[in-house]
Amino acid sequence: MRNIFLGLLAAAFLYSCGSKKKPSAEDIAGVLDSVKIEEPAISEEVVSDIIQQIPSPLEISTLLKEAETKYDKSHLNDPDNISNYNSNYKKALALGIYGTDLGYTNIYEQNQDALFYLNSIKSLADDLSIGQFFDIGTIKRLATNSKNLDSLLLITTKNFNSINAYLQDQKRSNLSVLLLTGGWLEALHIICQVSANNPGNKQLEETIGEQKIIMDNVAILLSFYTENDPNIKDLATEMTKLQEEFNKIEIKTVYREPTYEVVDGMLVVKDNSTSEIIMKDENVVAIRKLVRDIRNKIIN
Amino acid sequence: MKKLIFVLGIIFTTAVTGNAFAQCDTEKHVNNCIPKLQSGFTFLKSYNIDGQNGAKDKVEYSYVFTKGAQYQIKICNDGEGTDGIVLTLYDSSRKQVASTKYQGSTLSALVFPCNVTGIYYITYTFEGSTNHCGGSVLGFKR
Repeated sequence: MRNIFLGLLAAAFLYSCGSKKKPSAEDIAGVLDSVKIEEPAISEEVVSDIIQQIPSPLEISTLLKEAETKYDKSHLNDPDNISNYNSNYKKALALGIYGTDLGYTNIYEQNQDALFYLNSIKSLADDLSIGQFFDIGTIKRLATNSKNLDSLLLITTKNFNSINAYLQDQKRSNLSVLLLTGGWLEALHIICQVSANNPGNKQLEETIGEQKIIMDNVAILLSFYTENDPNIKDLATEMTKLQEEFNKIEIKTVYREPTYEVVDGMLVVKDNSTSEIIMKDENVVAIRKLVRDIRNKIIN
Repeated sequence: MKKLIFVLGIIFTTAVTGNAFAQCDTEKHVNNCIPKLQSGFTFLKSYNIDGQNGAKDKVEYSYVFTKGAQYQIKICNDGEGTDGIVLTLYDSSRKQVASTKYQGSTLSALVFPCNVTGIYYITYTFEGSTNHCGGSVLGFKR
């Protein structure tokens, strides 16, 4: 009720001031979108707990580089696609996607490409009123020299962590969930594409299978908002299909007691447990296709 | 008059407790901690450890660790030691994987080469802690 009232108030304001031109339906929808605060069906604390579990997409980019796979820009979302994103829903998802793409370009030290992504990220972040977390001058300075890679990774990781914390603080965790979903989906898309180009690489396939765990978390997070947000409801429906495909994968774990040693004042754990991913090639093919379809709907 | 005293009382209590909790500057600890990650580890997450002057006996976070990656978790506070902050790592079935309280000493960092992808719980407790306050960071390498 409060949201509707705020929306009507904003729409009335838009109508009464400024130019004599009547606001278009698109203008009003834009304002409504920006004032809407989608509160989850459960506590913000639970949402925050699940959000912080999701691993950074940087981990997948690092794996790809360590596996000596080549940098391939064609797997990424074009930074010029930014004009396609005209609602907070799309902007938040795209911000997550571009965040992953930026991490990928950073890991491969593709500084020129990184700058294009930074520009798009800054623009989306400004539109979502979270642009204050990007000191674009410092980031660009770091990005122009590959020796600054560690600092660049640090500063961008810190920024995205701060954005998530801020959005949750501001009770805008729906945007945080979308940002994270976009980021994870993009990382999954990249690894699916790289795996298709490297069919013999079992590690890449296993990593795709292991995303089953993250998939479950993402599905839970989206489910909290499906009642109040039709966009998230549609996305959750698509994601359910992907989850069904992931459910065909089995992860078998054998637990063994860890052992320890102290090295330089640090406890170094030897994890003696093992796990096995049981999946078929057709599972990977189906996941790759679903991920591409969902992503295409988001980015275009 | 009674109402006025009551309101002033609430304002005073809120200010005092607010100040008491504000003493724990976790951000400062986290910022000091990031450069202390061992060389080769990439920063992933920071964790605030605010025991609210002893009011909280446990601070817990969780993260999905991935098979094949190595993780380092470092604890920082004002001194060189951990001021009694103990980090305990549990796997997804809440089975203890490791604790920085090891053979009588409390260590300030833990390195975990992960063999099983899953949710892990990172728990900070306070044993004889003076400030109940610190910061912690998580880094990874492959």
